[in-house]
Amino acid sequence: MGRKFIEKVMSANEAVEQFIPSGSVLGIGGQTIGRCSMALAHEVVRQNKKNLIIVGCSMSISMDLMVGAGLVSRTECGTGNVESFGATMRWRRAIEEGKLEVRDFSHLAMAFRFLAGSLGLPFIPTKSMLGTDLISDAYSNSDSFIIMDNPWENSDPVVLLRALNPDVSIIHAQKADKFGNVVIEGFKTHEIEMAKASRSVIVTCEEIIDSDEIRSDPSLTSIPYIYVDAVVLQKWGGYPTSVYRYYVHDTNHISLYQKVAREGGLEYQKYLDEYIYGCRNFDEYLSKVLDTSSKNSLIQEMDDLL
Amino acid sequence: MTDKAHDNLMVIEAARYISDGDVVLVGTGLPMVASLFAQKNHAPNMCYVVESGLIGPEVIPTPVSVSDPRVMNKAINHGTLISALGEILHRGLADVGFISGAQIDQFANVNSTVIGDYNNPKVRLPGSGGANDIATHSRRILIIARHEKRRFPERCDYITSPGYIDGPDGRKKAGLRVYDPDINVITDQCVFEIDKKTGKLFLAKIMPGVTIEDVKNNTGFEIIVLNNGPEIVLQPTQNEISLLNNQIDPTGVYLKH
Repeated sequence: MGRKFIEKVMSANEAVEQFIPSGSVLGIGGQTIGRCSMALAHEVVRQNKKNLIIVGCSMSISMDLMVGAGLVSRTECGTGNVESFGATMRWRRAIEEGKLEVRDFSHLAMAFRFLAGSLGLPFIPTKSMLGTDLISDAYSNSDSFIIMDNPWENSDPVVLLRALNPDVSIIHAQKADKFGNVVIEGFKTHEIEMAKASRSVIVTCEEIIDSDEIRSDPSLTSIPYIYVDAVVLQKWGGYPTSVYRYYVHDTNHISLYQKVAREGGLEYQKYLDEYIYGCRNFDEYLSKVLDTSSKNSLIQEMDDLL
Repeated sequence: MTDKAHDNLMVIEAARYISDGDVVLVGTGLPMVASLFAQKNHAPNMCYVVESGLIGPEVIPTPVSVSDPRVMNKAINHGTLISALGEILHRGLADVGFISGAQIDQFANVNSTVIGDYNNPKVRLPGSGGANDIATHSRRILIIARHEKRRFPERCDYITSPGYIDGPDGRKKAGLRVYDPDINVITDQCVFEIDKKTGKLFLAKIMPGVTIEDVKNNTGFEIIVLNNGPEIVLQPTQNEISLLNNQIDPTGVYLKH
């Protein structure tokens, strides 16, 4: 619980060790090719945290890495997807092989579950998912919803969704101060509600900014320090996904990951060995995959879009 | 017409169902490119909304994802998933919802979750994402997909996103507030439309050079032809083709090249 106004800067290694025990319900931020919490996902894999239940909305390669490393017993989400780059292949195969329990919801349903959690509500109604197999009693998500009638209208069914309070969430943001006041730029997807619903939150950021900057324009604060337990300075912490205003996604490295994830087996193991187990930290991985000129071109491409 | 020409016309025709000023909830894949085409071609004042929370951007071609920074350009708001799918869509303010899917059945239900049995899948697909929300709450629904027999079965293996579910009153019985939306399914062979009397898709238009027989041979459900039969999809103009191939998707991220 990060409720205190104290300095919370630490390494990814320390943060994962302290806040993500095996068996955690782990909320993950970002979406497909944007601002995924890659540095923390790598650290979770490196520390071999097991039996994780991963929850989120649109889950991408950060989730796929943890599934591929055999650390995940269940996911609850709206999609596993890297869009133009294909499905999240380790996740897909694990489900097809019956090795991973999966609970499907719509994206809004997941965001509502986090919203309920963030408000201290036990459940929340929605009109989504009615009439579809997402609310079939035959499937394992059925302990997370019930259908009832709107008490104020006749014949107006609603789906009550159980609130979701992750044990810990991981988010990569553009900026934070050392107390954990976080600024997210660009889309914010489900991350704010998820963070506010979580018992602990670890934030990596591209820059640690002075608290005076936070106080000079408080309307830009996405997540106040009250919810945050650890702040990790990690430049390129969303790589190979894009971080708005900082760098675009690296098409080549995402394609490389997708290739080995599709293949699985030895090829995939080699990827994990080379880029995660064989690296002491995320910076060492970055030094293997990004030289100065490739960094500059990803930065330049983002600048051209702004 | 060549396959490539049909592929292009599928996107152009789908875009014609978006009017200037529409608030459009845009799903990933072909809906992104067709909505972008509409924005640049004839609907500069449409409000492009994507689930990650981006509202009203002037999208830069060619985004590869709904979280691509190209979809953030000159937006009026960089919000949250709840701002987009909650406060606009669930609230009832989306004129058009635009999705794709792996299977589309005769009631316009869409499957993007699984091929085969959910608990013992043959192929696991990405899942709903925002598609269920979009098909549930939009006032009009557009579905775009390339035509293949296995893509158009009589009944989806799994209903991820509701069409008319099982008949004309399917949505009403399930409790959906938008109980009789217009639904159009645009493919590279034809356009299906919902007949609200039966809740089933009928063949509203066919692409130039495609016959009703072709569509029958490539569709798993019964092809229904009403009254005078299908219209022919309007040929694209040279400007439309050039906009699509030179500006919207010049490298073939989404379209056949």
